[in-house]
Amino acid sequence: MPTPAQLEAQVDATAALIGLPLAAAHRPGVLHYFAIAAAMAELVLAQPLTPDDEPAALFVPVEPPRS
Amino acid sequence: MSRAAELLRGPGHLLSAAVRAHELSVTDVVHAAAERIAATDGRVNAFTQLTLQRAFGEAAALDARLAVGDTTAAALPLLGVPYAVKNLFDIEGVTTVAGSKIERGRPAAQRDAVLVQRLRAAGAVLLGALNMDEYAYGFTTENTHDGACHNPHDLARVAGGSSGGSAAAVAAGQVAMTLGSDTNGSIRVPSSLCGVFGLKPTFGRLPRRGSFPFVANLDHLGPFARSARDLALAYDAMQGADAADPACVARPFEPTVARLGEVHGLRVGVLGGWFHDMALPEARAAVNAVAAALGATRTIEWPGVERARAAAFLITQAESSALHLANLKIRPDDFEPLSRDRFLAGALLPAVWVSQAQRVRRWFARQVAAGFADVDLLIAPATPCAAPPIGTGWLDIGGLRLPARPSLGLLAQPVSCIGLPVCTVPVWGAHPALPIGVQLIAAPWREDRVLAAAAALEAGGIVRAPVAALD
Repeated sequence: MPTPAQLEAQVDATAALIGLPLAAAHRPGVLHYFAIAAAMAELVLAQPLTPDDEPAALFVPVEPPRS
Repeated sequence: MSRAAELLRGPGHLLSAAVRAHELSVTDVVHAAAERIAATDGRVNAFTQLTLQRAFGEAAALDARLAVGDTTAAALPLLGVPYAVKNLFDIEGVTTVAGSKIERGRPAAQRDAVLVQRLRAAGAVLLGALNMDEYAYGFTTENTHDGACHNPHDLARVAGGSSGGSAAAVAAGQVAMTLGSDTNGSIRVPSSLCGVFGLKPTFGRLPRRGSFPFVANLDHLGPFARSARDLALAYDAMQGADAADPACVARPFEPTVARLGEVHGLRVGVLGGWFHDMALPEARAAVNAVAAALGATRTIEWPGVERARAAAFLITQAESSALHLANLKIRPDDFEPLSRDRFLAGALLPAVWVSQAQRVRRWFARQVAAGFADVDLLIAPATPCAAPPIGTGWLDIGGLRLPARPSLGLLAQPVSCIGLPVCTVPVWGAHPALPIGVQLIAAPWREDRVLAAAAALEAGGIVRAPVAALD
């Protein structure tokens, strides 16, 4: 599990990268929820997967409108 | 009490039968529903918008057809059934706000959502739009912009969410039927807490065109009602593909009404592990009552449930935050304070977390599908507990102290993660004063089985959805 400092660094760096301002009043909540997401990611990353385990989200081709 | 008001407290199909028998008009039904809403909604706060002019117009049109002996009108499956929709469904002439402040500036919808069109064609009459958690992100409908929706069975408690208004309006007897959406539990959680029936169909079954999205990869739409038959009638009327919704699968029409109550030979199991450990005594008692009635003989454990829930959590955060990123950048203070910081955090997730979550989701779906080879129906609690008081911050579940709002969905989330059809049925007596719901779960595309079992339980008096007194 990443340390609180690592999580904080990720939050600040990514927010700056994508141009998402984090107000001082919002930042503690953001850190709280980012830490929860990190804990969820630990669970997800612990699952052994094979190449057959394709992502569940698959693209559906879009046909042109029929005239 | 008028005949229409009396019938409004029962299921919608009996209202339809009375209209067909010329005992009352559809206009009488709309009057009764409008009066019930006026008498109760100051306390419940289920509605955010009434469409009475439209409702009386639809009623008059149906009454005129019936008056001239139009047999097609008389045969409509939802003839005269009053309903309302979560305010993320497009209603022609009404701005679709999706529980938000931000969307209030948008123009009114130019046409109805596909499912609203289909209900109208089936003879149902639209009374209005319903309260919800902002952008469907929540399980309590403590909406800061519109005010909290109150549980009709105990006004000090939450109605559940995010389709809280949809469940509360049915429990309060304001309408017979409603529509809501379920991404991680937003039909099943409020159904459970308000003591009504709710159907979350298979992912991809019902088209979502004309509804405000939350997480396109997980969003489902479905009905709420006070009887399994009403759910089946509404569901059958709404089936049908729509090429404009890329997730909607072109399945044939697979009717459910004719098979209601047919449970002979169904192999039934109870979900254990996570679904037992994360449930409080009232939830376990409700499951036991349903399991005994359906003759469940074994307990089944799905592998990796907690990981599946985590996958749904990450996909939800990432996709929904991307959807709202532009507004999160320029007007974060206009978001619901209870979910704003979750949206902000979701925009910052490393891509590999989300990509792996989509792979875990597929892995889990395959494990569960294999398990359905020797069982037809699974039983699990819909929520860990009955409705908590409004404002509850924390819940003690499974020996852990957990944040209440996201945790109300922790038994629903792993199931919607893989899109299985679920009917939530209301059990009374498991908690001293409140209802609590049980999920009836089947393999993909077997809505017929969950509705058949719900109807059998209802016929046996095991589950029921009485209207809250509110007098």
